[in-house]
Amino acid sequence: MRIVGALWLRNIKLFARNRVQLVLLLIMPFFYLYLLSTIFQSTAVESPINYVLAGIVIIVVFQTSLNIATSTIEDIVSGYMKEVLVSPVKRMQIAAGQMLSSTTIASLQGVLILIIGYFIGMRYTSVLTPLAILGFMIMVGLVFSAFGLFLAAAVKNSQTFQIVSVAITTPITFLCGVYVPLSLLPEGLRYVALFNPMTYATAFFRALSLEKMSLPADELIAEQLAFKVSGFVITPQISILIVFSFGVLFLLLSTLAFSKVDFSRINRTPGSKDIFQQ
Amino acid sequence: MDNMIVVRDFVKKYGDFTAVDHVSFEVERGSIFAFLGPNGAGKSTTINTLCTIFEKTSGTLLIDGKDLSRDKDAVRSVIGVVFQESTLDSKMTVEENLTMHGHFYGLPKSLINERIRFVLEIVDLSEWRKAMVTSLSGGMKRRVEIARSLLHQPKMLFLDEPTTGLDPQTRANIWEYIARLQKEQQLTIFLTTHYMEEAEISDKVAVMDHGRIIAFDTPRALKQRYTKDKAQLISSDGPALEAALRQHDLAFEGYGGHYAVDLGAADLPRFLEVISEHRPCIHELEINKGTLNDVFLEITGKDIRG
Repeated sequence: MRIVGALWLRNIKLFARNRVQLVLLLIMPFFYLYLLSTIFQSTAVESPINYVLAGIVIIVVFQTSLNIATSTIEDIVSGYMKEVLVSPVKRMQIAAGQMLSSTTIASLQGVLILIIGYFIGMRYTSVLTPLAILGFMIMVGLVFSAFGLFLAAAVKNSQTFQIVSVAITTPITFLCGVYVPLSLLPEGLRYVALFNPMTYATAFFRALSLEKMSLPADELIAEQLAFKVSGFVITPQISILIVFSFGVLFLLLSTLAFSKVDFSRINRTPGSKDIFQQ
Repeated sequence: MDNMIVVRDFVKKYGDFTAVDHVSFEVERGSIFAFLGPNGAGKSTTINTLCTIFEKTSGTLLIDGKDLSRDKDAVRSVIGVVFQESTLDSKMTVEENLTMHGHFYGLPKSLINERIRFVLEIVDLSEWRKAMVTSLSGGMKRRVEIARSLLHQPKMLFLDEPTTGLDPQTRANIWEYIARLQKEQQLTIFLTTHYMEEAEISDKVAVMDHGRIIAFDTPRALKQRYTKDKAQLISSDGPALEAALRQHDLAFEGYGGHYAVDLGAADLPRFLEVISEHRPCIHELEINKGTLNDVFLEITGKDIRG
């Protein structure tokens, strides 16, 4: 536990020391808020600012928690991972430290945006809502940092990773209803979006933070907080179950992949050098 | 059980390629062991396997009596490693790097602080404790890595080319620390280096090439076996000297007054005779002892490796 804590603290410090990143991460959401609330005014959504803000919060949590993969790859490439791997630290502990720190940072960012959201008029009627929101942000953070760690352990090479990461995150980001309303997507992509775990994370989070969990099904569907697939309605309750199962799956996969990685096969240096020439 | 490291029939394959081919050797407790070889000889593979990073293909590897494939964590806690490339956490301070290391090896929190002071003193970096790693010079970073590898008081220290890319002063400095450490702490040291003169401090030298150990002995014995001393001399009476050298059956190269004479162990008395006979016309005389560098080139050849 102490090692997990130490790794956690290290990653938090690393994050706090990167000032540019820190500022950008706080500014960007508001740029999107401004941009998107105008787009969403054209849809059947009431109070678009709140609707969009909720989406942005959850997508920020998603992106930040996925960043863990990048930082793990960086640690591997910089050589630091070698120091960790020759020590008696368990791989599970490394994985846990990495995931917990990115979840912390991701949730913190979500909270900051929500605080600012308060000043632009976001209100909750129940005191339980903010707590549930925080809980769900932590869950989404864990889910996608597990996913990110799995990617890092599966790819290992920093150049390939950049390509893979863009190829995977772009569709997840744009086909979840945060940046582009799902109703505006072409039919085919709307179908693809149903295979995107972030679609359900977003729908659940919106329903939760707009306190619309108990709305009748057709109203939820109209606001894209629920989805109808050939007669079957995916309610927010089913959505959170989908996100949860996805998370458990990747938590298992990532710890398995991370503890099995044969680091002798990692191409650490960009270019043509192989491990014999390190 | 006087051996710190025991390696028996160690094989490491990458697909069809055999990087290490049935290698066996032992390293005595408390000794310095140098592992030499050209690029691609299998040194890094061997050291990385001993450090528990790579998996062996077959064979038996023991460190401090513990089996590397069964008892990884036990091995990890008794070894310290300084890798060829920097493995410092560059966005952290020296102190944070060392503290983290202490956590990794489960040192009690109260002890970490004290140990950090101690190891930084060894490498003369006490004033740099709070400095960011990025602000340090190459040599200082190396010293931090050495300090870090000592923090948990390992019994066995691996140094994979610890001085590559450093200036001569820093190199000398680092070897001084290493020699002192070995004496004071009774450490067993396993090192690889490209600078042959640096291997002179070791008790045993193994030369590896094409995945096999092709020579294994003390530096002194290796030099005796594989090198000859060479005398360089300048004479004002070339023809007379040449004749005398031939007459005494001494192999030499050169002409016109400048000569290089090969001196095997048995050649010295005859050579001295030639010198004393021709003393008036000899202006300069220099005798060069064979070096480990000569040994290395003699054994591994002069082809350039990848």
